[in-house]
Amino acid sequence: MVKITPTICSFCNNGCGMFLRSDGKEAIGVLPIINHPVSEGRLCHRGWNRYQNLRSLNRLSFPLWREDSCLKEVTWPQALEKTKEKISELISRHGPQSLGVIGSSWLTNEDNYRIALFCRNILETSNLDGSYRFSGAPALAAFRELFSGPFGSLGSIPALGESRTILVIGKESHRDFSAVGSRLIKAFLHGSAIILADPLCVHKEHFFKYLLPYPVQSLPALFRDKKSLPPDVIEHLFQPGLALIFIADQVDSASSLVSLLQSLSQGSPTKNDLPLMLPLSRSPNLKGAWDMGIRPGDGGLTLQEMLAEESEVKGLIIFGDDLLNHLPSSSTLGKLRSLEFVLVADRFFTETARMAHCVLPIPLLAETEGTMTNSEGRVQKLRPFLDPQKESRSVAEILHDLSRHLGKDFPVFSGPEVRNEISKNISPYEKVASESDLEGVGGILLPASKAQLHPEVSEPQEQTTEENKYRLLVPNSLYAWNRNQMILESPVLRIEYPGERPAVRMSPLDARELKIRMGEKVKIRSDRGEALAPVEVDENIPSKVLMLPSHLIEVVESLAGKGERDATTRTLFFPNLFVTVEKI
Amino acid sequence: MEQCILHKRNLNDWVELMLGGYQVFVPSRVYGEIFFLPHAGELEFDLLNGTAVLPYLPPKDIVFPQSETMFSFSRDAGDIDFSVPEKAFEKSVILGIRSCDTIGIHWLDNFYSNNFRDFYYRNRRDNLTLITVACNQPMKNCFCICCEGGPFLDPEKDAFDLQLIDFDERYLVECNSEKGKALIELNPGLFSQPESAVVEARDQLEQKSRTLFLPEPTSYMSTAIRRITSNSVPPEVWTELGERCFDDGGCSFVCPCCSCFGVGYLSHGETGCHYRFWDSCDYSGFTREVSGHNPRAEKGERFKRRFFHKLSYQYVKRDGRIGCVGCGRCITACPGEVGMPAVVERLRRG
Repeated sequence: MVKITPTICSFCNNGCGMFLRSDGKEAIGVLPIINHPVSEGRLCHRGWNRYQNLRSLNRLSFPLWREDSCLKEVTWPQALEKTKEKISELISRHGPQSLGVIGSSWLTNEDNYRIALFCRNILETSNLDGSYRFSGAPALAAFRELFSGPFGSLGSIPALGESRTILVIGKESHRDFSAVGSRLIKAFLHGSAIILADPLCVHKEHFFKYLLPYPVQSLPALFRDKKSLPPDVIEHLFQPGLALIFIADQVDSASSLVSLLQSLSQGSPTKNDLPLMLPLSRSPNLKGAWDMGIRPGDGGLTLQEMLAEESEVKGLIIFGDDLLNHLPSSSTLGKLRSLEFVLVADRFFTETARMAHCVLPIPLLAETEGTMTNSEGRVQKLRPFLDPQKESRSVAEILHDLSRHLGKDFPVFSGPEVRNEISKNISPYEKVASESDLEGVGGILLPASKAQLHPEVSEPQEQTTEENKYRLLVPNSLYAWNRNQMILESPVLRIEYPGERPAVRMSPLDARELKIRMGEKVKIRSDRGEALAPVEVDENIPSKVLMLPSHLIEVVESLAGKGERDATTRTLFFPNLFVTVEKI
Repeated sequence: MEQCILHKRNLNDWVELMLGGYQVFVPSRVYGEIFFLPHAGELEFDLLNGTAVLPYLPPKDIVFPQSETMFSFSRDAGDIDFSVPEKAFEKSVILGIRSCDTIGIHWLDNFYSNNFRDFYYRNRRDNLTLITVACNQPMKNCFCICCEGGPFLDPEKDAFDLQLIDFDERYLVECNSEKGKALIELNPGLFSQPESAVVEARDQLEQKSRTLFLPEPTSYMSTAIRRITSNSVPPEVWTELGERCFDDGGCSFVCPCCSCFGVGYLSHGETGCHYRFWDSCDYSGFTREVSGHNPRAEKGERFKRRFFHKLSYQYVKRDGRIGCVGCGRCITACPGEVGMPAVVERLRRG
């Protein structure tokens, strides 16, 4: 019997509407919802193939417990009792701050709210974070903490097609996020000026009117100075109604985004006119996880701080997140190994789950009832489409059972009950308690508030270009699609996202000039040090630019030191720098 | 070809009779969108009249599903068991399919029968009868008139089963195959001889429908066919069009003619299955070789290849028609606004 369920896609944070189809037993197909306000019947190739990973046979099926260095199948009561013993022991020996909890942007708002509550009220620790913050936090913080109002001034995806000028930061913004990209094409067809800023762009596509080949950090100075920009770029940029699209994952510090906004608003004729912004992310519930409180409480540690060698954290409880796949530092592995207790509740047997002391199976998003918040602040319902696997238990049940074992009371709130709580406690979410509004196609759009710029922001210093030196970019590639578990579990998408060799990427022009062949190692030298790295020749890299993925952390650290911490979010980033390259 | 009259009040009875021996797919609303689903409950008559209604998911999904298990395997005590799902191959009828989708299935018939006979497709198709409803009124994105895809099927050249032409309270039924005849013979008493006025009005209705297409999707196919066939489209035009392509594959999936599939394996322990799924020539992995080399790494190249297959005379000669039936679904599906009419118009401009 064919079953058709309207739901939303959970690959990125655009929140496209789709029907998932099943034959009663397993997923058989996907169809975009034509009258969905975000996607209007369109999907990207991930969305069109979303049903495939739902058929995966690599699901976690049973609770596992580590015994004699092997993970062995146990019953739920055994797993929960042993977990309780470990947690109680850690708290009695080191206090509650020895525990850290990790939420996730691959969980619903309701589950993240429950996790935050569990962390505060049951474990009484303030060490709560999620790996999503490594890539999206600076952008979120720029909205949340440097603007008045809950989340600053978000643009609307449907209205984007009407914008007269659109500044796109990062060439992947349009194609990787098709709901936004289709509005960009629509705007182009209506004669809007579309300006692309991306240092990693070899040639602009024809619908981009201008290409600004600069990283985000350089743009504020360029926009203030105005002299180095063509006059019509200035004319287009500094007018009311500008829309700004950027990939939140690539904004490495809150200050770089805020100073960009500042430069745009100060240059506009009416002053303080802020562009409408759309922070795109490969984390589907980036905004929801943040809004539900998946971030450190007062005095709490960030995930990076929890995983630092000197950290006081001895036990980590991880929900729906594959830290080893998402975090750049090789020291993550060492720290996870050294922890006295790691619990992973996830859907697949991920790299992190393989390291854990206890592994608990939770349902897929397609088996879960709940809501997610998209990039424009639209709260939409995920409807359970498949029956959960027999042995998996929802996050709500796990938290309730664990609390009971710990001798505390954590009620199993139903979805509507949690939304009721959220509506009372989280200010822009007042309307989510209305089940009838949520049931509608497109869900509920959170109210946007008028943003005001924070006056005091220090601007990042851009280093000057030196002849014969290469600009070394360390983009945040934490959420590279080819590491996404949903993609790894899909035969067609696995082909679309082949694994990349860990290497520094260089333009064919430069490789030819230096007589370097693919795979050959080169010596890269910066002011701080030097390192050897293999070269991957990439036609999509402009000349005199090197791209070094942050996963090659040893190389990055040799050249850029330990990186810098964003003042607002305390997340780590590596400012771009200039290096020389030598053939060995 | 035989013609007869069916009163709409008798349609339910006819469908009830079909249910005795067939699975009957009818257009049905689910959460406001239309799908072809096995009949259960009441027929939605407004989806079966002369105004075109095209479910976004093309009915090719019934003969060539978005994904289907080809065989499953399991090992028990050394013996390996293979099983092929057979339930899907029962006798079926699609009631309310439109002319473009009917011709799309005829195109798939060519692909899955010539050169090789695809077991899965043919088993479904051989058991399937199509009852097409002609379109007296096209939809806003329809351009079947440019592609010989409608708005009516032509009994002289289209090998259809049954065509229903809407005359308010009645249908003029055109029967063009033995499979169609078998459905009428379920109860010939439900049908009557058509009066000559109705038969004459049929052509007028078709002519009128042909005047109702909107100018925007209407496409000048011949120029595009000529330019593609003679390879006179400048490479920069393909690059420009390719830049607008999002590689999403949506146009292939909703296209009634696209027949490409990929094959995947799922296994866990001693059990697993082998399944196939809709694939798309938009995807860079579609032509990438095991070595990593991709003969169509450039998006423009992939785009060119797609439209070459759709419109080149080389394929018209082989398959008897272009690979587009003018349903207009690609206009809805394409985020880059480069559906068939936009591409044809761009190629015409040069």
